[in-house]
Amino acid sequence: MNALTISGLYKSFGKKAAVDHIDLSVPEGSFFGLVGPNGAGKTTALSMAVGLLRPDAGTAKIFGHDMWREPRRAKSLLGVLPDGVALPERLTGREMLTYLGLLRGLDARVVADRAAELLALLELDGAERTLVIEYSTGMRKKIALAAALLHAPKLVVLDEPLEAVDPISAATVKTILRRFVASGGTVIFSSHVMAVVEQLCDRVAVISSGRVVAAGPVSAVTGGIGLEERFMSLIGAPEIAAGGLSWLAS
Amino acid sequence: MAGLLIRMKLAVLRNGLGGKRSEELAGGAMIGLFLAAATLYLVTRPDRTSAAFDVMALASAVWALGWMVGPAMFGGGKEALPPEIFALLPLDPRRLAAGLLGASFVGIAPLISLVAFSGLVVLAARWGAAAVVVAVPAAVLQLVLVILLSRVTTASLNQVMRTRTGAAVSAAASAAIMALAGSGWALSPAAGSALQTGFPAHLSAGLRLSPTGWGLAAIEAAGRSDWLRALAALAGLVVLCGLLLLGWTSLLMRRMTTRPSEGGGQVSPAMPVTARGPLTAVLVKELRTWLRDLRRFHFYAFALLYSVFFCGLPLAAGSTDFLPWTGLLFAATAAAMSSGLYGEDGTGLWLTLLTPAASAPDVRGRQLAWLAVVAPPTVALTAGLTAVTGHRELWPLLLALLPAVLGAAAGLIVLASLMRLVPIPDPHKRSGNMIENPTDFTQVLLCLALLSVAALPTVLLAQQSSWAGVATGLATGIGLFWLLGELARRRLDARGPELLQLMRSGPARPAAEPIRGFRPPAAGRPIPEFKIGTMRAAATLLLTICWIPLFPQGIVPAVMLLTDNVAPSWFLPLHLPPPYQWPVITGMIVLGLTLATGGLVLARKAPISGRP
Repeated sequence: MNALTISGLYKSFGKKAAVDHIDLSVPEGSFFGLVGPNGAGKTTALSMAVGLLRPDAGTAKIFGHDMWREPRRAKSLLGVLPDGVALPERLTGREMLTYLGLLRGLDARVVADRAAELLALLELDGAERTLVIEYSTGMRKKIALAAALLHAPKLVVLDEPLEAVDPISAATVKTILRRFVASGGTVIFSSHVMAVVEQLCDRVAVISSGRVVAAGPVSAVTGGIGLEERFMSLIGAPEIAAGGLSWLAS
Repeated sequence: MAGLLIRMKLAVLRNGLGGKRSEELAGGAMIGLFLAAATLYLVTRPDRTSAAFDVMALASAVWALGWMVGPAMFGGGKEALPPEIFALLPLDPRRLAAGLLGASFVGIAPLISLVAFSGLVVLAARWGAAAVVVAVPAAVLQLVLVILLSRVTTASLNQVMRTRTGAAVSAAASAAIMALAGSGWALSPAAGSALQTGFPAHLSAGLRLSPTGWGLAAIEAAGRSDWLRALAALAGLVVLCGLLLLGWTSLLMRRMTTRPSEGGGQVSPAMPVTARGPLTAVLVKELRTWLRDLRRFHFYAFALLYSVFFCGLPLAAGSTDFLPWTGLLFAATAAAMSSGLYGEDGTGLWLTLLTPAASAPDVRGRQLAWLAVVAPPTVALTAGLTAVTGHRELWPLLLALLPAVLGAAAGLIVLASLMRLVPIPDPHKRSGNMIENPTDFTQVLLCLALLSVAALPTVLLAQQSSWAGVATGLATGIGLFWLLGELARRRLDARGPELLQLMRSGPARPAAEPIRGFRPPAAGRPIPEFKIGTMRAAATLLLTICWIPLFPQGIVPAVMLLTDNVAPSWFLPLHLPPPYQWPVITGMIVLGLTLATGGLVLARKAPISGRP
């Protein structure tokens, strides 16, 4: 069973195709990395897959449920951490989790227990009196991750979850995600840090200019060389000219 | 230092010339010159010298006040030389402040103010040559004083703007100015007599004691050959300017070295969420947001103060006719200010979209939270002020209108903010400065117009019978609360991703993702940039003045005639012979609507964002 199946997904902004007929399948229980340069269409593709952006064409299915035909069923199986969006800013972290849990129809007691555990695990319980709007970028990522996990989804989709997160918190986040996958969950996350993807993921897809240029198990995609090197050869990196700025030498 | 900064400012101003900026500049210069000319005219009008002095003292105070609140009200964000750009240079703060002050004198506004303050020289001519000699430095010192006052006020406001106090102060200032535009006529008879006979003694004395009157005091003393007093007054101005410069220096330092965090970031931990289900969860979230979000607090305070000022000002003309309506005006203003409710949250909408079946509790929770914060003051103001003023005949109409207006407003805010979504930056990306995050004028007007339409059946039926009115009011309120909320939920379900996309694409290009079936197709040809400034200025002007013929000269006298409760006070049509009353009222309403429509059409072509 695939946790996520994307077929023929297409979206254009003006004349430019941001996502150009992408096909992707993510098997259940995999730790899936989505890599690509800035502006490749990672965020657009993920937004369409989770129901935040209506595709011009194509479908996205969560455990066989079409995101745009049976959104309720699909969304109940899904936890999402989008990049750079607003949160309920005037709530504290605990209030935000409580609000979201109740909105999802969870029992108040269950919400309270889970929120307490998540806050402690992500070391946010020290900021009980701080509103989300005052959080640092790393704290925002962590509280959004807590919100994505709160209702015990089967698939978690994360857009740049480790960006601006300090190394210690990053280690915590990685542990949580690994444990989630070990217990049968599926994780999809985008990043442009190759080392992290290589370290965490068992499968990977490389996106460039709105198209999938390589996909499959990490070892198959890299073919023996490092992911970073493989990525460079797939995308094509420019040479940096030697010389220049000689006056900077002290 | 000053020379270099002046050259730099001139370069900035020159580069900014051409296009929209010069249009705005020319418009501002015209208005400023008109005001300066009006000052000079008023100063020369009274026959009695003491009255002329009173007028000049008042004019000085008003100019100073304008300089103090002007930048905060009309875009203090557009500084030619923001001090931050010098923060990394090895400069002495006092020299930098003095240099920036020197550069402040370069520009059109100081020049125009100098024209206005030349009224001091004109006045001094009444006393003879000696007074004129004193008047010249006095006029220059007064200019230095107002510019320094302006710098210090703006800098302090920037410090407190992110606190509750700052939000309340700026709301009070906006509310007072807007209320004066609508109800200020009440003050005109008093002003007319003061111009000839002079001001009441305490006002006159107060005006001269305040620093804006010290220049005048010096001239007066010089006219009486009281040189000691004249010198003391001028010296006082010099010392005060020096102190203000010191104060401004320290404020500048603070601004360059700190990044104020938004007040209210810390909350009491002992606020358990008592909610038990989806609806109450949204309700609690919204109530806390109303409590903690300075932007919402600012709008709320504005609505409250505006309605109190607007309905209270006619007391100056001895009329209590407006006071019973304070509560309903508050509800309507609060609704208009909340007409961007969904836009306020920015991209936060994603959470509602990703949660199964969350749209209904989200919409209803927001409606209920709005009612919870707006309804109690509305009812209290209406009941209290009607009882106190003894307008008992109004009870049936007011009781009918209360549920109608509150219910319709609670429905309108959610629907309007989703149908005509105006994206603003995400809360955590906003500067926290209200000046830079204005409300959408069209949204506000649309909401007020629709609210009036919704209340119309109740008003008409209440004329027939009290019970029919109250019943219609209740039905209107409950019905529209439910119906408009339901329509909002359907829109959220059907077009949620498109709305989120519109929020993401942000205010920079609000037309990037037009919502089908609602936004009209974009105009075929783009409007030249230089025209947009003029159109915006015209639209703002029309939308500001349209209320005068529409409300105080049109609808209010109409209601008075209909309810047989005529108090002519300052309503022009009611002073006319009966045969002319209705035609003039109709004309005024048509005029007001025409101005409003013209303003809206222009605003649509060249979107404006007006401050409340």
